[in-house]
Amino acid sequence: MPTHPIVQREFIGTMRCHRAAATVIVAAMVFSALVLLGWPSDAQVDLSGAPAQKVFRLFGYGLLGALLLLTPAFPATSIVREKQRGTLILLLNSPLRSGSIYFGKLIGSLGLVVLLLLTSLPAAAACYAMGGISLDGELLPLYAILLLVAVQYTSWALLVSTYAQSTDAALRYAYGGVLLMAVVSLGPHYFLQGTGGWKAPAAEHLRCVSPITAVMELVGHSGVGSKGLLVAGDVFWRFVSYSMLATGLFAGLTLLRLNHRLFDRAHSQGLITDERHWLIRTLRRMVFVVDPQRRKLTIAPLVNPVMVKEFRCRRFGRMHWMIRLAAFSAMASLGLTYVASLGSMDWGPETIGGLMVLLQGALIVLLTPALAAGLISTELESGGWQLLQMTPLSATRILIGKLASVVWPLLLILVSTLPGYVVMVYIEPSMWLQIRQVLISLVLTGVFSIALSLACSSLFSRTATATASAYAVLAVFCGGTMLVWLLRDAPFGHGTVVTALTMNPIAAGLAVIRTPGFEQYQLIPASWWFAACASMICMTLVIFRTHRLTRPQ
Amino acid sequence: MSEAVVETQALTKKYGEFVALDQLSISLQRGQILGFIGPNGAGKTTAIKILVGLARPTAGQARIAGVDCVREARKIKHLVGYMPDRFGSYDNMRVREYLDFFGAAFKIPWQRRRQRIDQVLETTGSTYMADRFVETLSHGMQQRIGIARTLLHDPEVLILDEPANGLDPQARIEMRELLLHLAAMGKTLIVTSHILPELSRICDRVAILTHGRLRASGTMDEIMTQVRQKRLIEVQLPNHAQFQQASQTLAQALGDHAAVVPSEAEAILRFETDRPDDDLGRVLALLVSSGIRVSQFRAVVSDLEDAFLNVTRSEADAA
Repeated sequence: MPTHPIVQREFIGTMRCHRAAATVIVAAMVFSALVLLGWPSDAQVDLSGAPAQKVFRLFGYGLLGALLLLTPAFPATSIVREKQRGTLILLLNSPLRSGSIYFGKLIGSLGLVVLLLLTSLPAAAACYAMGGISLDGELLPLYAILLLVAVQYTSWALLVSTYAQSTDAALRYAYGGVLLMAVVSLGPHYFLQGTGGWKAPAAEHLRCVSPITAVMELVGHSGVGSKGLLVAGDVFWRFVSYSMLATGLFAGLTLLRLNHRLFDRAHSQGLITDERHWLIRTLRRMVFVVDPQRRKLTIAPLVNPVMVKEFRCRRFGRMHWMIRLAAFSAMASLGLTYVASLGSMDWGPETIGGLMVLLQGALIVLLTPALAAGLISTELESGGWQLLQMTPLSATRILIGKLASVVWPLLLILVSTLPGYVVMVYIEPSMWLQIRQVLISLVLTGVFSIALSLACSSLFSRTATATASAYAVLAVFCGGTMLVWLLRDAPFGHGTVVTALTMNPIAAGLAVIRTPGFEQYQLIPASWWFAACASMICMTLVIFRTHRLTRPQ
Repeated sequence: MSEAVVETQALTKKYGEFVALDQLSISLQRGQILGFIGPNGAGKTTAIKILVGLARPTAGQARIAGVDCVREARKIKHLVGYMPDRFGSYDNMRVREYLDFFGAAFKIPWQRRRQRIDQVLETTGSTYMADRFVETLSHGMQQRIGIARTLLHDPEVLILDEPANGLDPQARIEMRELLLHLAAMGKTLIVTSHILPELSRICDRVAILTHGRLRASGTMDEIMTQVRQKRLIEVQLPNHAQFQQASQTLAQALGDHAAVVPSEAEAILRFETDRPDDDLGRVLALLVSSGIRVSQFRAVVSDLEDAFLNVTRSEADAA
C-alpha cells in the first residue's frame, strides 16, 4: 500500500511540508505535557490507581479533542482541491479505479492521524506504567474508539469534499458535520433523559453516535450530566456499531459520486426572473420573499459598496437565505418558550433559557467563521484584493464594509431569537436583568467570533487555512472550555473550571440564566472583560494587517 | 509632437539586493499603444505596479498625465484602468452586479452608473453576458469583462497585463480589434504579452526588458534597427544539383566560409550580412555568372520575435 501512487502523494506529500511535521511534534509535546501535568508528585505510591485514572482521563479527552479538530482538515480539501486544479479528471482518466482512488485518499489522509496516535503511545505507556489502568479494559478500547473516530470523520470529510465547490465550503460543512455528530448529538439526551415515551430511548441512542459518550464511559464519567439517572451500559459497543455503519454509508456514497459525473454540470446561464414566463414569475414571487434571480438595483448612494458586494457574492449572505435563517431562529426561539410555558415537562425557564443561549451561541459560532474567515483571505486568494487596491476605497472603508457584511446577518439572527426572551420576561418578569446580561454575553460572543475570524482571515492568504484556523480557535474557546466543565468534579477543581469558563462568553450566558450545571459559577464581568479585550487585540491585528496589505509594496 | 501621457525617468526598484527594475525610462503619447515585452521575471509587472501605485520605486520618477504615481497615488487610480493577469472573480455575482460594485467603488453616481455599465459592455462586445455569473464565464469572456471593468471610470490610460493570455485564435483577433478600438477612442494603452506577433500588429511602440533593464525601445522599425545590425539573406536554388557549387561560390564572394549556413533539404543558403544593397547585387551577379541558377535572392523580413530573441540571446552571450 505505501507504493500506491495516491497514498504516496497524499501522505508522503503532506509529511514533506513543515506544517505537518510541526503538527506532529506539537501533538507529541502536548500529550507529554498532559501526562506530566497529572504525574503524581507524592513520594508515596497510591495503590488505588486514582492518579493514573486522572492522567488517563486528561489524556483520553485530549487525544479525542485533537482528533476531532485535526482529522477533517486534510480530507475535506482533498477531492475539492483536485477538482479545482483539474487533477481529479486526470486521475479518473488513469487506469486507477474509483475504489483505488478513494482508498488511496482515505489511507493517505489517515496516515497523518495514525502518526499522531503513534506519537501518543509513549504517553499512553507512561499512563499504563503508573498502574491502575487495564490494557484490555481501558487503553486498547480507547485507541479503538480513536481509530474509529479517525476513519469515520475522514470518510465523512471525503464525502463532503465530493459535494463542495470550494475548499472553504468543504471545511465548513466537514467541521459542521463533526460538530453535529460529536457534540450536538449529546444535547437531546441531556434534556430528554428520564422522560417517558420513545423520545428518551431515541435520545439515548443518538448520544451514542458521539465518541465523547464512549470516551466518557471508558474513563468513568458516564454519570456526568445524567442528573442521577441510570445510563445505558453498552455505550462502547453502540458507538462502535454506529461508527462502522456511518463509515460504510459515507464510503459508499463517496464511491458512488467519485466518477466522471462529478464534472457533468452545466454552467449556469444566469437565468433572470424578470425575463421568464409570467407563470414562473408569479410562482417565484410566491415562494421567495426576496428572489435571488431578480435583477438587482444599482448600489445606492451612501451605502458601502464593499458590504453590498460581500452580501451578493456569498451564497448564504443573500437576502433570501438570511430571511430563512432569521425565520428559523425566531421559530426555534418561540417554540422553546412555548414548550416552557406549557409546563408539560419539568423544564424550568432556566433550562429553556439555557437551550436558547446554546442555540444562539451555536448559531453564532457556526456561522461567524463561515462568514468572516474568508473576508480578506478570499480576496488575496482570488486576486480581488489587488482590484480593491486599485479603487479609491480606503483601507478603513473596505474594512468597515466587510465588517458590516458580517455584523448585520449576525444581528438579524440575534434579534430574531429575541421573541422567545420577550415571552420569558412576560411569564417571569424577574428574569429581565438576567436576560439583559445574557444578551450582552451573546453580543460579546458575536464580537469575539467576528474579531477572531477576521484576524485569521488577515493572517492567512488561503481561505481554507483561515476558516479552519478560526473554527479551531473558536472550538478551543467555546468547546474546549466546556470539556473542562464536563470534568468539573475530577480532575479539574472549581478554580480551573471558572478560569476556563471565563474564556467562553457562551458559558457566561449559561451561568447568568442559571442553566443546570452552571448555577455555581459567577462568570461576569470577568468573562465580558476577557471577550472585550481579546476582541480588541484581534481587531488591532486586523487593522494593522489591512493597512499593511493596502499600502504600496 | 503631443505631450507624453506616461513618462518614467530612471525608475528603479530593489528588493534587498535584488534589482527588479533598473533605471527604466520610457515615454508614451496619448492614443498610443506600448507593448511591454520581456521574459518572465524581466520586471514588466514591477514597472506596471509602480505606474498604478501598487508599488513604490526605490529611485526615479513615474508620472501619468502629469500626476506623480507615488506621491499622488489616489489621483492615479482615477487616471488609470488596470487589468492584472488574474481576473479577480467573485462567486455568485452576475456580470452587471460585478461592474456595479466597481462603479460604486469609483463613486460613479448611481443614476449614471447603469448607463455607464451598458456603455462599457457594448464597447467590449459583452452585453449578452450581463446576467451571467462571473465565475461561469470562459477565459476569453472574463478578459472582456476585465477590460470593461477598467473602462468603467473612463480612465485616460489602460494598463493590461497579458490580455491575450490563454485566448483561442478567434478570441485573440477579437481582443486585438478591441484594443485598437480603445486606442482609436483616445485611450493610451500599455500592454504586456508573450504573444509577440499579436503585439507587433497593434503596438505603436515596443519596450523590451530583460533582467529589469530596458534593452530596446521605440517604434517597430527603430527596434529592428537597434537590435539587428545585420540582415539575413536567403538564396533559394531550384534544386540540389548545384548546391555544393553555390555554397562554395557564395563563401568565396563573402570571403568567409563560416558565414554561409546551408540547408540542403530546402535547397537554401543563408547568410547574415551588413553589406549595402550594391554589394549584395554583386554577390548575386557572381552567382549567376558562375552558371548557378538562382530562383530567389531575398532579405528575410525580421519580426518582433526575432528582435526579442536577438536581445535575449545577446544577453545570454554576454553573461
